[in-house]
Amino acid sequence: MQNLTHILICENSIDGILSGIYRAYESRYGHSHIQLTTADRLGTYELFCEYEEVSVDFQKAGKVSRTLQKEFGQEGFRTLCEAMSAWESPRDQTREMSKANAVYKTVALGLARKEGARVLNYLSEPYVNRVFQLSRSTYYESHHLLGFLRFAELENGLLFAQIHPKNYVLPLLADHFCDRLPQENFIIYDDSHKTAAFHKAGSSYLLADIPEADQAFMERYSAKEKEYRALWLEFFHSIAIDARKNPSLQSSNIPKRFWKDTVELKP
Amino acid sequence: MQLTQSMTMMEKLHILSDAAKYDVACTSSGVDRSGNGRSMGNCVAPGVCHTFSADGRCISLLKILFTNECVFNCSYCLNNCSRDVKRASFTPEEICTLTMEFYRRNYIEGLFLSSGILVSPNYTMELIYRTLHQLRHVHQFHGYIHVKAIPGADPVLLEKTGFLADRMSINLELPTNDSLRSLAPCKSRSTILKPMRQIQNGIAASSRQQLELHHWLMGQETGLSPHRADSRIGSWQSRPRFVPAGQSTQMIIGATPESDYQIMSVAEGLYQNFDLKRVFYSAFMNVTGSSDLPALPGGPPLLREHRLYQADWLLRYYHFQVSELLSEERPDFNIFLDPKCDWALRHLERFPVEINRADYKTLLRVPGIGYKSAERIVKARRGGRLDFADLKKIGVVLKRALYFITCSGRQMYPTRLEEDYICRNLMADKTQIPREIRESGYQQLNLFDLGMVAPSEPVAARMITGIPFDIPERA
Repeated sequence: MQNLTHILICENSIDGILSGIYRAYESRYGHSHIQLTTADRLGTYELFCEYEEVSVDFQKAGKVSRTLQKEFGQEGFRTLCEAMSAWESPRDQTREMSKANAVYKTVALGLARKEGARVLNYLSEPYVNRVFQLSRSTYYESHHLLGFLRFAELENGLLFAQIHPKNYVLPLLADHFCDRLPQENFIIYDDSHKTAAFHKAGSSYLLADIPEADQAFMERYSAKEKEYRALWLEFFHSIAIDARKNPSLQSSNIPKRFWKDTVELKP
Repeated sequence: MQLTQSMTMMEKLHILSDAAKYDVACTSSGVDRSGNGRSMGNCVAPGVCHTFSADGRCISLLKILFTNECVFNCSYCLNNCSRDVKRASFTPEEICTLTMEFYRRNYIEGLFLSSGILVSPNYTMELIYRTLHQLRHVHQFHGYIHVKAIPGADPVLLEKTGFLADRMSINLELPTNDSLRSLAPCKSRSTILKPMRQIQNGIAASSRQQLELHHWLMGQETGLSPHRADSRIGSWQSRPRFVPAGQSTQMIIGATPESDYQIMSVAEGLYQNFDLKRVFYSAFMNVTGSSDLPALPGGPPLLREHRLYQADWLLRYYHFQVSELLSEERPDFNIFLDPKCDWALRHLERFPVEINRADYKTLLRVPGIGYKSAERIVKARRGGRLDFADLKKIGVVLKRALYFITCSGRQMYPTRLEEDYICRNLMADKTQIPREIRESGYQQLNLFDLGMVAPSEPVAARMITGIPFDIPERA
């Protein structure tokens, strides 16, 4: 029984993974005997492995989150959260280098070495490196979307934006736009994750699962909306310099997957 | 003015953005300012690109002229007074509405306002000031504003405007006074440098006050963390700061005969003596067809512009000095190799560099290692020795770096530390000359002969210039 690996299956969310980490510590199986995964359907079950599902427990996740904030600092904690919000392919989910496992092992390393956030710099450690790659992917995409996201004004004056991000960046975007547009009512709808952020003027935002969005609702534009879209298109075209035309530079700077949610590059 | 009245917003926007497009400075960086919970807008220090136009350049700000009417006659400029172009002017209210409506839809990060000279420099500067005042105080706009200072305008007007803007710039236009005299007779070095100095002094005074206030606040046991205290002082309405994102300028490249050495020396002087945040370089395009100007049948000198930007980064982020890169004897950049590779080949005595030991500044000098990678290397090796696979994951471009580095005393594979050998291999590197530039039949490829062997196979690569745009890394 010495070589038995315990595979903890957690929900694919920050709270899910934090609950998994709690369980890993609580179980006392020892870090080398535990792997975390967020795969909901495991294709093949391996020999000498014991599978255990960990349900989300907000209290336990909260405890872990407080510990991590203390030990890794705000910056470090944010890096870990970004990593946990990253997208990974179903194939990667089941591997040792899966997102959940990489975060868990990095946390274990940081807490054991008592070096906190400094551990996140040790990029020659494979788990740490994976966390670095994942968090960078989330951060870059969120930074892109701060600029590429487009609001449209609907009939009732509400601002509405739809996005299709790979990573779960919605909370990062919502934070930014609440700060930027405090007196606007707006909705950002993440169609990839079927989640929306609702912001009411003068207050904070709420997140809600929206399994099905009403397409007609999104396109009920206000009277002024079409006018400003046309003005923006005019600006977008006249600001380009013909003698420097460079489509490949353009699409490497704003990758094509973002185009459909913009006004100016929408096919 | 009669004409302007009857024009639609669409026509005005067309004319006044078209007329502004040759100005390259379109970043929204340099200031962190959180929202105040009431009015619209905040600023993010690294800047945000909102989209990219067909030329691949970043669009971050609503870049427009207040008017394209102009009493000046600069021969390179589309709007000079002797040309027969359609003229238009915005009203301050129109600019405010456009900015606010674009901003709340997240089209833009803010406003970039420049102008032709209507009536006189003071008259124009006053109009710009009124527009900004209205935007900040009537519309309560809290986002980014970049404004052009009009050469020759009253210092008092400049100062008042500077308290409303985040960034101010005055275009140097041409690198030397002689060139300025021949192509822009209404401008002179002194009408450009005087306001530049004024802005520099204003920024310095403003940040001194800021610092004193910060110390005072911290001493008051306000219970605010340093960050909160900063954001409180930084808050716009409570205490306006003078040009908090610093000033920039731009030079036109290739309209006049200056060498790269002259241009980079001017840039270095501006960074050192005027504390500029950025110097931009704009490949000359003969848009006016004036006979004073070179024809440039091969199109704008984009490769030269690209090399100047690369060198500019070496000055700002890599602790290089112009005298290390160029000299009277070698006044122009090597077109086949980027300035850092070129430098490294002439200083092989400094290599190879041991990755696990070399200090940060030494790492910065290695081709293929950027400033972010260098920082990551220094931090990562505290946790254990690094090998080539680690470097790759960190983001080092090994195909350039491998000739110049060792990991734990070993090379990636056996190479020779010889100029010819490395040079041949580096020139086969497809990113050395961006594809678009090569394929456009760029004429200077034939004009320059620096005794280099041309690459044997066609170089094909992605163009990596435009406005050098880097996704900011957190500190």
